[in-house]
Amino acid sequence: MRASRREFMTWMSAGGISLSMTRLGQAQSVGFDARETLPGRARWNPAIGGLGRIDGEPKVTGAKLYASDFRAADMPGWPDKTAHALLVRAPDASHVYLGLDLARLSGAMKPTLVVTASDIATIGLQVPDFYAGDLFCPVGRTPFYLGQPVAMLIFDGFDAYDQARVAVRDGTFVRFGEETGPIEAENYGAFRFTRVAGPTPESPDLYSPVLAGWVKPGRVQHSPLPVWEPYARETSDPYGKAARYGETIRAGLAGANADLLVLDRHFETQSVDPMFLEPEAGLAWHDGRTGTLELVLGVQSPFDASEAIAFLLAKAKAPFKPKRIKADFAYMGGGFGGRDHTPFMLYVTLAGLFFTGRPVRLAHDRFQQFQGGIKRHAFKMHSRIGVDRRTARITAFAADHVLDGGGLANFSPNVATVAATAAIGIYDIPKVDITTVALHSRGVTAGSMRGYGTVQTLTALETLVDEVAAALPLDPIAFRRRNALPPDGRTMTGNRYTVSVRTMEILDKLETHPIWAARAAEKARPRREGILVGTGVAVATKDYGTGADCSLGRVEIDAEGGISITSDQPEMGNGMGTALASRVAAHLGGMAEEISLARVGVFGELALVTSGNSYTMDQKTQDAAERNSRWVPAISAATAASNGAHVGTHSTSEAARVVFRFGLWPAALALWSIAPADHRAEQWAQATWRDGNLHFADLPPLSLKALAAKAHASRLVTGATTHCFSRWAWAKATFPVQGHRYAAEIDALAIRRGGGPFERVARVAVSFPPTGNNRIGTTYGAACGTLVRVEIERTSGAITIARAYTILECGNALVPEVVKGQAQGGFAMGVGYALLETLPPFEDGPGNGRWNLGQYVVARGSDLPLHDFEVEMLPPLTPDEAPKGIAEVVMIPVVPALLNAIFDATGHRFQSLPVSPSMLKGALA
Amino acid sequence: MTRFSITINGEAHGPVDLRDDLSMNDYLREHLGMTGTKFGCGAGQCLSCAIIVDEPDGTSRTSPTCIVPAVNFDGMAIRTVEGHAKGDELTTLQKAFIEHFAFQCGYCTAGFLNEGQVLLERLERSPVARAELETTIAEALDGHLCRCTGYIKYHEAVRSVILAEPQRYLA
Repeated sequence: MRASRREFMTWMSAGGISLSMTRLGQAQSVGFDARETLPGRARWNPAIGGLGRIDGEPKVTGAKLYASDFRAADMPGWPDKTAHALLVRAPDASHVYLGLDLARLSGAMKPTLVVTASDIATIGLQVPDFYAGDLFCPVGRTPFYLGQPVAMLIFDGFDAYDQARVAVRDGTFVRFGEETGPIEAENYGAFRFTRVAGPTPESPDLYSPVLAGWVKPGRVQHSPLPVWEPYARETSDPYGKAARYGETIRAGLAGANADLLVLDRHFETQSVDPMFLEPEAGLAWHDGRTGTLELVLGVQSPFDASEAIAFLLAKAKAPFKPKRIKADFAYMGGGFGGRDHTPFMLYVTLAGLFFTGRPVRLAHDRFQQFQGGIKRHAFKMHSRIGVDRRTARITAFAADHVLDGGGLANFSPNVATVAATAAIGIYDIPKVDITTVALHSRGVTAGSMRGYGTVQTLTALETLVDEVAAALPLDPIAFRRRNALPPDGRTMTGNRYTVSVRTMEILDKLETHPIWAARAAEKARPRREGILVGTGVAVATKDYGTGADCSLGRVEIDAEGGISITSDQPEMGNGMGTALASRVAAHLGGMAEEISLARVGVFGELALVTSGNSYTMDQKTQDAAERNSRWVPAISAATAASNGAHVGTHSTSEAARVVFRFGLWPAALALWSIAPADHRAEQWAQATWRDGNLHFADLPPLSLKALAAKAHASRLVTGATTHCFSRWAWAKATFPVQGHRYAAEIDALAIRRGGGPFERVARVAVSFPPTGNNRIGTTYGAACGTLVRVEIERTSGAITIARAYTILECGNALVPEVVKGQAQGGFAMGVGYALLETLPPFEDGPGNGRWNLGQYVVARGSDLPLHDFEVEMLPPLTPDEAPKGIAEVVMIPVVPALLNAIFDATGHRFQSLPVSPSMLKGALA
Repeated sequence: MTRFSITINGEAHGPVDLRDDLSMNDYLREHLGMTGTKFGCGAGQCLSCAIIVDEPDGTSRTSPTCIVPAVNFDGMAIRTVEGHAKGDELTTLQKAFIEHFAFQCGYCTAGFLNEGQVLLERLERSPVARAELETTIAEALDGHLCRCTGYIKYHEAVRSVILAEPQRYLA
């Protein structure tokens, strides 16, 4: 679903425009080369000793780090003065747009330039498919969605911009005429996932998406909603086959069967805002003299953003087509998915192009961020579950999901499929049938956000499971244990996980935790009058990765033992820099002194090429393409889908492994006087680092500094660059290095010897994961369980979370305190989603431009059990177990656990979010 | 327009003529380029924009800057995140923030740092009992929004500084 790499590469060769992308550093007073690394060797940095984040010092001293911090005067070589752009958006999507009442912006508020749909219509822009839709609503049309831009006003000076920004906020500057009603459009994607297991766990499935492929309904009947029924004569296979299996499952759930407990429930979730604290911002300067377009952006997807901008301008007419695009990527003040593939950077680009010669800043304020930023999808879910009363085993599950995708497609089809394929959570269910459709609406565009559909579907599921356990009756944890997917079981797409499945251990931890063990006693314990007490539990599993994940990493060590890292992965607060340093330290015995992130244009030594769409290509195409040893299925991916630890750090870790294997290890052998033919020369994997020294057998320890000096002096490997790719399994390749055939989970390698230049090492064999893996829902998953105890005041409905516990499994925690912080932050975000945050759809919602934190309530410290929230991580199964992605799963189980606790306290099951005090008060009246 | 002077981190600025409705946040970020003070909401709700105001009586308080005109600070002395460290030497609280992994994205950090520093200085003047410490920290920091961390590590960092010197901060 992502933009095609082929398009980009075609444009690159046809356009003849160079493109460079790098990361923006923190200080403004030094040259760019000196500030493009973090933290830098001259700075105090406790992370080098293993304490704290590697980006800590600049963040506590107010250094310029974020895209919103930079002005033209901060950028080397730019003019000093910054102009300011203001996007005016439509607060109405049911009437014809007539234009702007610009006469009201007179005097000190008069814009220098106004850019509208008519201005961009003639300059030859081509909007990438992913962002398809009018960038500006043309006069005479009804806006496609609330918050659609209608114009961009550009002001020479800040004061004019500042006053105009406030003046246009009430929306009356945008004039509307005849009422047309909202514009109807086709849905963004509709899919059906059906699986029927064989008669025994060992036997093959009768039907599954992995066996038969993913299917979508072919018919829409006078409505954006698809026709789901098979209509055998009209609907051909493969959809018809899935639908017939699915309808059979549904008929079984609908039939009269006294032995089967069937619950049929509807659940609705709300739209929310990612509410990252730094509103989107960017800076652009189109230098008309050199033809260079320079950009400063803060996005989760640097490569794809650059690709989209390049495509946008590929066929632009002079003077709007730059000769060169230079994009700098800054740190992000939060992301949570909401900075992954947003269209904002397209408008930053336009601001620069239309105000040629002068740097322009486009920055949302919070009202604008609510009006125009990506939202989480609201879901309507109808679920039916069948449970054998005698065995308490789930026999069948059917659900229908309808997502409000808002104004543009963005990631709606992807969210719909991830949500659907995650919808049976931790359970082993032999018959599953799920339909899902993401609809267009006039609401603000919904897209990627932490939890990515799964927090919606698993909230519906885990509250339903709680109700089933009560109805049987059976202890909720015992019910989950009886139905949990075993490690070798099949997911609802019909494949097995390739990573550990540790649900049982998590259930054991939950069951024995004092919050659960003492739940009855706590409920009975006397409190002040009118306080209801309840305990809730929920467990979730969440995939990590997208099925086309990749990263780039370079590790270098100097003759003094100083380590530097360069990675394509950006930092949005998730601790990427610290995690990279930690993985490299495991191989090289020391923390990196310099780390450069979000650099996607500086790995020329690999000379990578790509083609096709890695999500959709067939095996024959891949087989042909991989004959070129420089070819990879994708070059760089966004930091998204909780893939930072697993994928984002992998290439860098593998580069460090190469530096050790072919640099430091042979240096150690030489210093120990071990001959290459000695059997010990191949035992490099048995060496260990302790306190900066390399230990092996009973030989004297060697310091990193001594090994680095020897490696440089002997012209051994002192630097390595790698690329990795995963399609639910790593690509693997073999490389000739120093007389060895080196096999690793990478698909490209370059090395440097001594102080020499990097040289590409052509792979001699490669095994890319089969394209058939694109049918898999996921093979990478991490589980997390949460317990909460709530206290509810009967008269007011006020709810307090008295105590909570989260247990998760994450493989090897690269930086345990970062993982713990993610779990704490995820818990807080889950509390907000369950109890506080909501955005109404349409005219009363954020698209009207009048929303801010006054109305939109996110969790504060006082909403959380700051001193009574415990986070526990299962230790890794093996010392070398790969890290798992957990950034999303940690926010999921708290949501249904809260609802289950509320039921335990009140006897009332809420079937929509958020549960507000007034709803609680009403239920208790 | 109003004639305006201010002392920021011990350095005098102005006099200069400022628009009466120019926010303090925009004065710092747009006029002075001091972007360590962040802009989060423009509604006084998140306090990522908070700075320290040093009162003539020797006490200090925090103030949002996004909804307060700069001219309201005329003649005052304020401190921002850029002014905590002395040269390369970070304050105890800054070090504690780093060592406790208190922040993630760091966008709210300036506000928390200023609030925490004001709390420390207040406790030096008016210590509280150990039993009141957690509540005191929670009440002090509660106005500040953080979307990444869940607040716990911020609280732990501030508490660690206080408990490291109980004779200084606790009654």
